[in-house]
Amino acid sequence: MIHNFASTGIEIHVGAGTLFTVGGFAVTNSMLTGALAMIIMLSLFAYVVRKLQRGEYNRFVGLTQWAFEGMLGQVYSVIPDQKVARKVAPLALSIFFIMLFGYWMSVLPGLDSITYNGVPILRAVNADLNFTFAVAIIVFLVVQFMALQAHGPIGSLKRYFRNPVKDPIGAFEGILEFIGEFSRYAALSVRMFGNAFAGEILLVILAVLTGFLSVIALPPFMAFELFIGLVQAYVFFILTVIFTSLAIESHGSHDDHSLTSQDHSPSDTRKKHAAVSSE
Amino acid sequence: MTNPLYNFATTEHSASGDIFTSLGINGQMLLFQAVAFLILVFVLSKWVFPVLMKAVDDRQEAIEASAKAAEAAEKKAADAEEQLHELMKEARAEAKDIVATAKEEANAMIASSEEKAKSRAEKIVQDAHEQLEKDIIAARKALHNDTIDLVALATEKIVGKSISESIDKKIIAEAVKEQA
Repeated sequence: MIHNFASTGIEIHVGAGTLFTVGGFAVTNSMLTGALAMIIMLSLFAYVVRKLQRGEYNRFVGLTQWAFEGMLGQVYSVIPDQKVARKVAPLALSIFFIMLFGYWMSVLPGLDSITYNGVPILRAVNADLNFTFAVAIIVFLVVQFMALQAHGPIGSLKRYFRNPVKDPIGAFEGILEFIGEFSRYAALSVRMFGNAFAGEILLVILAVLTGFLSVIALPPFMAFELFIGLVQAYVFFILTVIFTSLAIESHGSHDDHSLTSQDHSPSDTRKKHAAVSSE
Repeated sequence: MTNPLYNFATTEHSASGDIFTSLGINGQMLLFQAVAFLILVFVLSKWVFPVLMKAVDDRQEAIEASAKAAEAAEKKAADAEEQLHELMKEARAEAKDIVATAKEEANAMIASSEEKAKSRAEKIVQDAHEQLEKDIIAARKALHNDTIDLVALATEKIVGKSISESIDKKIIAEAVKEQA
């Protein structure tokens, strides 16, 4: 913790601040904001679902439907196996929407200024490593489960461990893949946390530096944060889908170190590998 | 002067003693967040996404049905156009036949009318000739009779008396016949 950062009185905490405890369980500001994001999101979805069930349409319902259809289309285009895509879609879409709403909570007015017991009440749930790690771990487990279903235990192990005598390059590649399995999920969670945390700090510092002018200075940055939130939520979502697709795709062609498979076109596979390597 | 960023890292770390605590990672909270997220996924998967997926599927089906209907309508229109072309072709052929037949019939009618007119004219001429012949004969006869009467009258004047009307007529007729 830095006390009196740059002599302005701003305190920056990497971890979420504890507001109060319930039966020894610490309730943090990120939990509270996350719950608020969840309630808002579920309320909006409840409204949309009710409207859809009644066959009533308006612009918001249309927008939600359009966004949902677009995201679902992305899942189906990345994972060609419709059965697997149907299984992964709820998780991936849940990730997108909760990350989006959670991130957007960081632009709520009162960030860092409304406090309880000296702890700011508002903190985006995405700016809490517990949440991003938790989601990344769940994604990791789901992806491994899918891979296990697709290839079986031996097939899954063969993705990482190969005979170094017969296939030395493949064996090295397998080790890298094994390390990559952990690093990519760590990167996934830390990326989201870093962006949300940095966004919050940016807004707080800007508010302090501009004083009363923050009324004019903050809105463009808030809008930018909304955009970044959308991008980051999409990145988390699409990487979840890509990791699943990579895990379940046929690895029978590993012997010739080819990236192509029968399930995917070479261009698709190249795109996926390019997306992962760009991380 | 101390670097504030360096201070930032070292202060957090030294205060807690382990990197996870300094980053705010807590096993209990992590588990709570994971469970909360899984509950959210369950709620969305159970009550929200099926409705949205159904709406998407329905829309997709509606689009496909519309596309099929449009395709069918297009095919129907093409068929109708083809049928129309066929009908037009048939109609044109039929019209051509009708015109040809009409022309033939008209020609036949004209020829027949001409024939009839010709025969009628001939008949009229023939009748006229016959009538003329009759008139000539009648005129001759009348002239003949008048001549006989005149001759009889003249003879009576010359002879002074008449023998008898029947003898006169017989003599005169023979005389006229000889002259003729």
